[in-house]
Amino acid sequence: MTNAVKILALAMVLALALFIAVICGGYAPWYFAWLVGTTMIILISVSGAVLFETQESAADTDPQPHAGEKA
Amino acid sequence: MIDPSVVSLSRLQFALTALYHFQFVPLTLGLTFMLAAMETVYVITGKPIYKEMTQFWGKLFGINFAIGVATGLTMEFEFGTNWSMYSHFVGDVFGTPLAIEGLMAFFMESTFVGLMFFGWDRMSKEAHLAVTYLVALGSNLSALWILIANAFMQDPQGARFDPTTMRMQFQSFGSLVFSEKAQAEFVHASIAGYVCAAMFVMGISSYYLLTRRHREFALRSLRIAALFGIVSTLAVITLGDAAGREDYLVQPTKLAAMEGLWQTTKPPAEPWKLIALPNDATESDLFDFSIGIPYVLTPLVTHTFNQAIPGIDELKMEAAARVENGIRAVTALEQYAQTKDPNALSEFEFYEDDMGYGFLAQRFAPDQDLTKITPSDMPGIVTKTARASIPNVFVEFWSFRIMVAFGFAFLVIFAFGAYYSLRNTIERQPWVLYLAMWSIPLPILVALYGWITAENGRQPWSVFGWLPTFEAASTHSLGYMIFSLLGFATLYTLFIGAELYLMFKYARLGPSPAGSAEPRIAPAGGPAILRPGYAAKSWE
Repeated sequence: MTNAVKILALAMVLALALFIAVICGGYAPWYFAWLVGTTMIILISVSGAVLFETQESAADTDPQPHAGEKA
Repeated sequence: MIDPSVVSLSRLQFALTALYHFQFVPLTLGLTFMLAAMETVYVITGKPIYKEMTQFWGKLFGINFAIGVATGLTMEFEFGTNWSMYSHFVGDVFGTPLAIEGLMAFFMESTFVGLMFFGWDRMSKEAHLAVTYLVALGSNLSALWILIANAFMQDPQGARFDPTTMRMQFQSFGSLVFSEKAQAEFVHASIAGYVCAAMFVMGISSYYLLTRRHREFALRSLRIAALFGIVSTLAVITLGDAAGREDYLVQPTKLAAMEGLWQTTKPPAEPWKLIALPNDATESDLFDFSIGIPYVLTPLVTHTFNQAIPGIDELKMEAAARVENGIRAVTALEQYAQTKDPNALSEFEFYEDDMGYGFLAQRFAPDQDLTKITPSDMPGIVTKTARASIPNVFVEFWSFRIMVAFGFAFLVIFAFGAYYSLRNTIERQPWVLYLAMWSIPLPILVALYGWITAENGRQPWSVFGWLPTFEAASTHSLGYMIFSLLGFATLYTLFIGAELYLMFKYARLGPSPAGSAEPRIAPAGGPAILRPGYAAKSWE
C-alpha cells in the first residue's frame, strides 16, 4: 500500500514536470532553461559534495594518497 | 515646464538607490539555492557538518537579506514620489507585477525565511529542506516579477496607449509575463546572483584555508561553491548572449551603443571591438583607434553571417523619420484631450506608433510646447531629437565590456577552484585561494555594471519608444531633490557600512566561534588550528 502511494505521488510529480515542460517549453523557453539549469547546478554541486565524502572515506580506508597528492 | 536639473537629480537618486540595493540582491538570489544544495547533502548523507554549513552560510544570508529588504522598500515608493508621470502613464501595467511581487513572492519568501531559521528543531529534516527550497524559490520569484516590470520598460509588451485615459492600459498579462525580454532578463540576472553567491562562499572558504581554520568545513564549502560557480558562470555567459540578441531585436540603439557601432556593419567581416574610445561628441572613436576581432560581431549578435547590424547613423535617420510623425501624434492628442474632436482622434491613431518621438521632441520645442514649432524650427528640432534618441555610447560600450571581461575571468577562477578541489589539492594552491578571496566583491560589482548597461542603454526612454525619461519625472523643487538625495545617500551608505561590518565580523568568526567547546590542536611549527569533532578523522 505504501509503495502504491509512493508510485502515485511520483507519477503525479512526473505529470506535473511534463506539464511544466510542455507549457514552459512552448511559451517560455528561457524560463524553462532556468528551471532545468538551476536544478542541474544544484545537482552538480550536491554530487561534488557527495564525491568529497566518498574521497574522504576512500582515503581513510586506503593507504594510497588522494588523487594528485604526492606519495 | 520640466526643470532638466530636477530630472537629472531624480535619475541620479534612482540610479544611486538601485545600485545600492542591488549590492544585496544577487547574494540573496544565489545563496538561497546554495543553502538548499548544502542542506540537500545533509539530508542525503546525514553528516552534521552540512547542517552546520547550511546554518552558518544561512546566518550570512540572513544579514544580507534583512538589509537588502530595507534598501528595496524605499525604491517602490520612489516610483510615486519622483516618477509620478511615469506612474500615471504605466501604473496599470507596471503596478501589477510589483503587487504580485509583494503579495506572492516576497510574503512567501519572508514567511519561509522565519521557518528556515527557527524551524531546525521543530520540523523533520525533509520538511526543513522543503522550506529552504521554498525560500530559494520565493526569493527568485520575487526577482522574476521585478524583472518582468523592468522588461516592460525595455520592451513594452501587453499594453496599449488609451487616448481617453492618457495612459497605457493592460491588454495581455501573458504577453507581459512571457515576453522574450522578461525571460532573458530574469534568467541572466538570477543566475548572475548564483555566480555572486558562489564566489562569496568560495572566497570565504579560501580565507579559512589560508588562515588554517575550519579546514573540513572550508574544503566542503569550497567544493560546493566551485562547482556551483562554474556551471552558473557558463550559464550566465550563455544567457547573456540571449539577452544581447534580444537587445538587437527590440532595442537596436542599445545594441549599437553597446558595440560602439557608429556606422551600419558590413557582414561578415565586421570586427567585434575589444577596445575603443567612443567619443559621443564627435560620434566616432577617439583617434579612430580600436582593436577588434574580425568575423566575430555578426554571428555573435545576429546568429547569422550575412545580416547587417544597424549603426548609430542609420538609427538616427530612422528616428528622424519618426519625429515629425510623433509631433503630429502628440499635437492631435492634445487637441483631442481638449475638444474630443473625432478627427483629432483619427489623426492621433494614424501616427500613434510614433507618439513617443513627439514627446521626445518636446524637450527641444520653444517653451517645450510642440504647437510653437515653426516650419523653420522643424529641421533643427528633428536633428536634435534624433540625436537624443541614442544613449551615451562611451558608458554603454565600457560597462558592457567590463561585465563580459570579468564574467570570463570568473569562469577561469571557478575552473581552477573546481579542478584543484576535485583533486583534493586545493590547499597546495594558495594563489587560487588568494584569487578567490580577493574576488569576493567582484561579481557583485560586475552585476552593477550589468544594470548600468541595461539602464543606460534604455535612455533616453523611461518606457522604450513611448515615454521619454525627462517627461516621466515629478515636478519637485531643486532643493527637495538635493535634500532627499543626500538623505538617501547617507542612509544607504550606513546600510552598506552595517552590512560590511556584520559580514566581516561573522565571516571572521566562522562556523565555530573562538572559545567554543571544540578541541583545538597546535601542530608543530604551525598556528593553532580549530578542529571540530567531526573533522578528527580527516586531520589524522
